[in-house]
Amino acid sequence: MSLGEQIRSLRRKLFGDPARAFGSISLVLLGMLAIAPAKNYFSEWGHYQKGYLKLIRSRADALTLARHFSPGFQQIWLPEMDVVDRCTTCHVALKEPSLSDVSRQPYRPHSPIPHSLTQFGCVVCHRGQGRATTVQEAHNSTKAWEHPMLPSRYLESSCGQCHLGPLLGTPQLNLGRQLIAGYGCVRCHTVMQPDGTRMMASDDPPSLQHIAEKTTRQWIYAWIKNPQAYAASVTMPNFQLSDHDARDISAFLMAQSTPLAAIHNQPAAKGASASPDATAGASLYGESFCASCHAVQNAAGVLVGGDLGPELTRIGSKVKPEWLEAWLRNPSVYDPNTKMPHYRFDPKQIATLAGYLEAKTDSDLLANVHLSEATPDQIQHGKLLVMEDGCTSCHEVNGIKKPENFAPDLSRVGSRSLAVLAFPEGVPHTLPDYIEAKVRNPRAFGPGLKMPQYTFSEQQRSAITTALLSLTDRAQTQPPALRTAAVHESNYQPAGKAGRLMADLRCFSCHAINGRGGDMAPDLSWEGSSVQRPWLVEFLRNPETLRPALIRRMPRFNLTPDEINTLTDYIMIVYQTPAVDRDSLPASSFTPDMVEKGRQLFYSKYACQSCHIVDPNKDKGYIGPALWAVGSRLNAAWVYAYLKNPPAMRPGTLEPDQHLSDAEARSLTAFLMAQKSAKQAGKK
Amino acid sequence: MARSLTTYLDDLRDSRVWRSIFRSGPGQSNLHRALVVQSNVFLHLFSVKARKRVLDFSVTWYLGALTFGAFLILVITGVLLMLYYHPSVPLAYSDMKDLEFVVSSGVFLRNLHRWSAHAMVLLVFAHLAKVFYRGAYRPPREFNWVIGVVLLLLTLFLSYTGYLLPWDQLAFWAVTVGSNIASAVPLLGHHIRFLMLGGNLVNANALLRFYVLHCMILPLAAILFIAIHFWRIRKDGGLYAGAPTTTAEKEAER
Amino acid sequence: MSDDKDFVAGFDSNARKAPVRVAFVTRRTSPQVKVADEDQVMTHPGVFLRVAVAVELLTIALVTLALAWDAPLEGLADPMHTPNPAKAPWYFLGLQELLHYFPPVLAGVLIPTLVVLALIVIPYFNINIQAESLWARDGAKRLRIVVVVAVALSVFLAFFDVWVALVPTVIIAVVMFLAARSSSQSASAMRRWLYSKPLSFWIMTWFLAEAAVLTAVGTFFRGPGWSWVWPWRS
Repeated sequence: MSLGEQIRSLRRKLFGDPARAFGSISLVLLGMLAIAPAKNYFSEWGHYQKGYLKLIRSRADALTLARHFSPGFQQIWLPEMDVVDRCTTCHVALKEPSLSDVSRQPYRPHSPIPHSLTQFGCVVCHRGQGRATTVQEAHNSTKAWEHPMLPSRYLESSCGQCHLGPLLGTPQLNLGRQLIAGYGCVRCHTVMQPDGTRMMASDDPPSLQHIAEKTTRQWIYAWIKNPQAYAASVTMPNFQLSDHDARDISAFLMAQSTPLAAIHNQPAAKGASASPDATAGASLYGESFCASCHAVQNAAGVLVGGDLGPELTRIGSKVKPEWLEAWLRNPSVYDPNTKMPHYRFDPKQIATLAGYLEAKTDSDLLANVHLSEATPDQIQHGKLLVMEDGCTSCHEVNGIKKPENFAPDLSRVGSRSLAVLAFPEGVPHTLPDYIEAKVRNPRAFGPGLKMPQYTFSEQQRSAITTALLSLTDRAQTQPPALRTAAVHESNYQPAGKAGRLMADLRCFSCHAINGRGGDMAPDLSWEGSSVQRPWLVEFLRNPETLRPALIRRMPRFNLTPDEINTLTDYIMIVYQTPAVDRDSLPASSFTPDMVEKGRQLFYSKYACQSCHIVDPNKDKGYIGPALWAVGSRLNAAWVYAYLKNPPAMRPGTLEPDQHLSDAEARSLTAFLMAQKSAKQAGKK
Repeated sequence: MARSLTTYLDDLRDSRVWRSIFRSGPGQSNLHRALVVQSNVFLHLFSVKARKRVLDFSVTWYLGALTFGAFLILVITGVLLMLYYHPSVPLAYSDMKDLEFVVSSGVFLRNLHRWSAHAMVLLVFAHLAKVFYRGAYRPPREFNWVIGVVLLLLTLFLSYTGYLLPWDQLAFWAVTVGSNIASAVPLLGHHIRFLMLGGNLVNANALLRFYVLHCMILPLAAILFIAIHFWRIRKDGGLYAGAPTTTAEKEAER
Repeated sequence: MSDDKDFVAGFDSNARKAPVRVAFVTRRTSPQVKVADEDQVMTHPGVFLRVAVAVELLTIALVTLALAWDAPLEGLADPMHTPNPAKAPWYFLGLQELLHYFPPVLAGVLIPTLVVLALIVIPYFNINIQAESLWARDGAKRLRIVVVVAVALSVFLAFFDVWVALVPTVIIAVVMFLAARSSSQSASAMRRWLYSKPLSFWIMTWFLAEAAVLTAVGTFFRGPGWSWVWPWRS
């Protein structure tokens, strides 16, 4: 029989009449119906589980691992958090530290974290689709799931969903939040934090209501054209204004400015400013520790100084001399909210310092700025621009209110749906990439957009993206019990004469007291318990640094003895901790034996000299405060309590808790209290 | 072998139990074959004989039978899907995910249901066109044509109500668009939409309403009308095979 | 044929002797068969088996489809995020496309209601049942009416910018014109066939073509803001 005939006969056999056709096709149909169940058997997750069993077979602890393993779907179900995570179906060895040498996924064990793996599941931190049981659907973005796995460089953002304050382990998140507050992002964008509070800006954009007193129209023009040309460290972004727009805005800002009589009322120091002595100015700048807050670019182009106040490299090109003198006399006259303290400079000092600062000019800055007299049209157009560009979101301007909801609300930006985002060319279609691209170059997203150009480094951009990604739906909707609140600044305000003095000196710019204030200098909440009065009086008269390694120091405010007394009395009486009784360890309770025992403990048992200096000739510890005069500085009872439990007395201190016995602590205290001065230490 | 299999089957058919269920018993005679149809509650809707001509593919393209086939697949897969489905927000959507990721052959079930639904809509339209172009709606079959139109509407409503059940973006907005069309009816538009959705918006109430319509009311109505549709084929003179050739038919057409 | 009756009607009164009779064949002849009923098959198994095979083939096709393509599933329903465009199920897209052109009362209510009513009444009109060629009587006059209706319809559609619906209208009008110019004696079978078609055929064909075109346009050619897009360019 030929092949053709065979086929024909077969066809007759199978489909020859309806009954045969019915039978044959029924068999085909049954076969087809069996395919779907068969596919279950060859599932991806099944493949990985089989692979795991093969992997552990050859290992020493195979039996233990096999006992921990359970086949089939695995699931972490947390209904109150809306978590159904089946990741552990494939990632079977997350809790097997003995497999730490395995780098192949999905068998790698999880690195140690402060949370139990079953407490939050996986997607709360990593995102991705927890319900999925295929590689593609679980990790990637699909039509039915917009939030793929978070790239590991943004992973810290997940911590920020619950931890609203800074954490030791999340430097990037902390930095991002600082930048968002410090660059005033939240002045235009509303960010409601999950605890219901609004994220506040920490920058200090100046009021422009009296701007004409301070600077010239030429400088304003140059500044708003490119703030970074004036000083690289400034936080004001570049609005990429055209020459015309900058001309009109500068015209309007000068026109709206009102005079401030108080600036002109003070008598200037006649004659003193005639020949400013550069050397005297530089040394006064140094003595007053201006560099603790202000930075200046040195010859090598490196910024030297603090960042609490504005950079002063080209200050002479910016401010008017009479304004500068009035400012140095008392900054709060021009800006009642400034962080700068009121130095008690005498007129000669003011003239010297002002002369020194005015010399800091940059002839190139305003060389090309030629502005003719402003016309009313220009001023009117400038006002329009100031309103449109949202300048008043940050700066106070006469006649224009702060706009509400000027920029999109970012409270849930970390969960924003990709469907509502317009991606420019070349930006990958993921939320982190979108945010990063937006922070890098906001104007690339469309011609009419108002967000200005910032000059962030790569690292800063990643940090900001991380912080923004932490603002998720989950963070807003999860049970409040899961939230770890941020510490909000208190509104503590000391009262009375001392309180007014502290406000005038802007103590809170650097020191924190009772939950309010800066972190540049030590917390003074318990200062009265810890120091001796004579030392404090001397310190306020002529501050010196306590830590050899620190550059920043407390400035000298030229206080009168009266003012020093007021401050000292207030600090000694009010800033006490109930944990320390100042009089519980009088000098008489220390014996020479104890001092000797303490010396041994200091140098031998605990090797304190590796961080502290008691004998300046011998010890080399530069990390902790110098202790050669600690006996005349600190209170014995405080020292004892501090040695017993350092973190309790100064949260965040580097001082280790050595778990000293009472006797040891007492001996060490006796030894330390015997250190009255460097000379004394040298003699012994 | 085949021979003995047939014998066994005949023995089975001749057994007391079998005969108590299916009265027809074994046999190959035309009487027997007629009995198979007549004594079965489902099959007796059809006539025991059909014109030979209607068996030709070109006559009907088997479109009615195929539509009914799609309906059967939908009923079977639909009942199985009901086992895994909660008509509530947002459980409905997570049930879709569970179907996809953890239910054995869940994806296959859902796919088959979905594609069969589309196929049924297409087949119903094709059936309607074929019947029209062949003139099979002419008397005495005019009322069966009307029932066919009713079945077309039922099919559309079945498909439309099922569209919402996955509770995804596609479902939600398709139904929103559809219900907005309904609200364009003059005067009564918003009442109709309220009645349709059980509220003014597509929400959990609408989901429940659509679920009950999709799984209970509309399928029962469809089954009822399908039964009438089939029964009317017999009552209206059998499947229409083309231009009338018998006296009886000619009389009926007059 | 002879006029003599082959049989006489009547019945025997003695029912006990003879059953009821309708006719007595009086001569030695049998009744003449004028029309033979056509061949018939037993429904079981003749029809049932074939239907079962057809249904099984459909099932195989659908099972293959279900194994090869996953049903669409998008993100969780979110009333805050309207997809652009938001589309109804495909079989309503013709309607949605109409809504783009006409006021909602017309496109969303009037047209569908009329369509359903028209479908229902089809078998109750003699013109539909007789299936006489549209051009059989008063061909020239009817052609004039058709031309007027086609032009009016085209102007109406153009007025509402419904260009996509205009295309099938024009095509069918042209074909109708061709049909009117044909006759039952035309050389080409195609033209004879066109000529034979009744009015209902033309209306239904026009309706189905419109429905198909509008549905296809709504499904494949509509993008954000219901703007025109080419499906192959996306």
